[in-house]
Amino acid sequence: MKPFTYVLPHTLAEAHTAAKKAGAVLKGAGIDLVDRLKERIEAPPEVVNLLPLKNDLAGIADDGGGLRIGALTTLRQIAEAAALQGPAFGAVRIAAGLTATPLVRNRATLGGNLLQLARCWYLRSAAFGCLHGGKGPTCLAMTGENRYHSILGWHDCVRVHPSNLAPALLACGAEYTTFFDGKQERRPLAALFPDEPTAQKAEHTLRDGEILVAIHLPKPSGDVRSTYQETREKDSFDWATTAAAVQVTLQDGTITDASIVLGAVSPVPRPRAEAAKSLIGKKPGDAAFLKAAEMAVAGASPLSQNAYKLSLCKAIVRAALTEVTR
Amino acid sequence: MTKPPPDQPQEAFSRRSFLKGASVATIAGTAATAAATAATATQGKPETFGPGTHEIQLKVNGQNKLVKVETRTTLLDALRDQMDLTGAKKICDRGACGGCTVHLDGQPINSCLTLAMDAIGGEITTVESLTEGGKVHPLVQNFVHCDAMQCGFCTPGMVMSSLACLQQRGKPTREQIQHDLSGNICRCGTYGRIFEAVERTAQGAQGGGK
Repeated sequence: MKPFTYVLPHTLAEAHTAAKKAGAVLKGAGIDLVDRLKERIEAPPEVVNLLPLKNDLAGIADDGGGLRIGALTTLRQIAEAAALQGPAFGAVRIAAGLTATPLVRNRATLGGNLLQLARCWYLRSAAFGCLHGGKGPTCLAMTGENRYHSILGWHDCVRVHPSNLAPALLACGAEYTTFFDGKQERRPLAALFPDEPTAQKAEHTLRDGEILVAIHLPKPSGDVRSTYQETREKDSFDWATTAAAVQVTLQDGTITDASIVLGAVSPVPRPRAEAAKSLIGKKPGDAAFLKAAEMAVAGASPLSQNAYKLSLCKAIVRAALTEVTR
Repeated sequence: MTKPPPDQPQEAFSRRSFLKGASVATIAGTAATAAATAATATQGKPETFGPGTHEIQLKVNGQNKLVKVETRTTLLDALRDQMDLTGAKKICDRGACGGCTVHLDGQPINSCLTLAMDAIGGEITTVESLTEGGKVHPLVQNFVHCDAMQCGFCTPGMVMSSLACLQQRGKPTREQIQHDLSGNICRCGTYGRIFEAVERTAQGAQGGGK
């Protein structure tokens, strides 16, 4: 790690001003950042620590319209939160509880999980210069070792979005609030990720100095259920090879609303609207789920080493739909 | 309480100011958290530290200790290099193995991914606390009794994750033990004996005897 100046703000406004400075980076627990600094893929002159603002930025509370989860809430707190018990937010709870290890989840924050840098091994190594890292002319994974990379929705960079929570929160209709220039702004969570995730785009759409403050989950009305499943090579402590979060609303045994969001298969978490729409008006059943699973990977273009993800992805979409409607 | 160093613009850092700053800052000794430390300072401007060394106070195994760190010093390096607490091991140094496990406010964490400054105001517990004053914690006795180690490098981390498991669950099931220890890797593969040692401790065994 190169030396840096450590900034401890008292307020969001101070943190924002400090983080707007060229080269400054924001940090929560630092699980991702410390790793990047140690690998020397980044050497920021200033690190702005948000942990002193924990009182305002951590915790889960009912804010009237739904649940507000502070950006500094730890993954463990989310996995165990009483407020997230019940079927509607199962996907969020499960995704948080599956992430990394108990040791990491005790410190890692919601904000850090959503905003972390992609885990592509070329991007994360100082020995390689790739297009997304801004240090090379091409995406090295596209023609190189790409078994963990994108199978759909990629342009000139085949990284995958590494967050477990992003697909789960998207499936549950989450919104997010940021702080920028003295104002809080609230948007649908999909706006946190670039529409066209090219190499030049960051993993997220936050402007320099913009601070993720909280995630909001709407109050469920009716029989709303969600779940999250992922495939991985190891039972514990592994990154997902594919991930699927689903939420369905049931009324008199018929699906009246549905969302399906894929993770670990594209440079951004991918809502599959057409696949979800195919379920509406249907009774839960394997034929409908199989069709939705097929549609979820429609238009995929796998790379030389990762076509296996197609069948895994279909399998977990089907399994998640089966589980959530059981 | 010594005053933290005045804010300095980035351009002002030279080798000279780096050296000058090296022995100055001490962070409030009794502050409850880094946030509380910050709250006592002048409002309107954030506190800044580094990039040189400064002194901070960490509460380790119940004792307040002054320790010289840089802003980039991890808790693991502060414990091992500055405080001579070498129980926590530096193995992968990336949060991938659990060898560096210590407790922060009662929860097991990767000390290699935690900046030392982020542990100010917290209660840090290391594996050394389990053998303090010549008294050996039953969990450690049961690790010995079950021969729950081969090369022993992962053992301090395994012990600290096991301790948290026992503290938080009382009588954990085998499944819960496996879950709670899933961030600690044993390359020798002694997991079965480690789980036994935890189970024996939960049953009240003090090591020895059959």
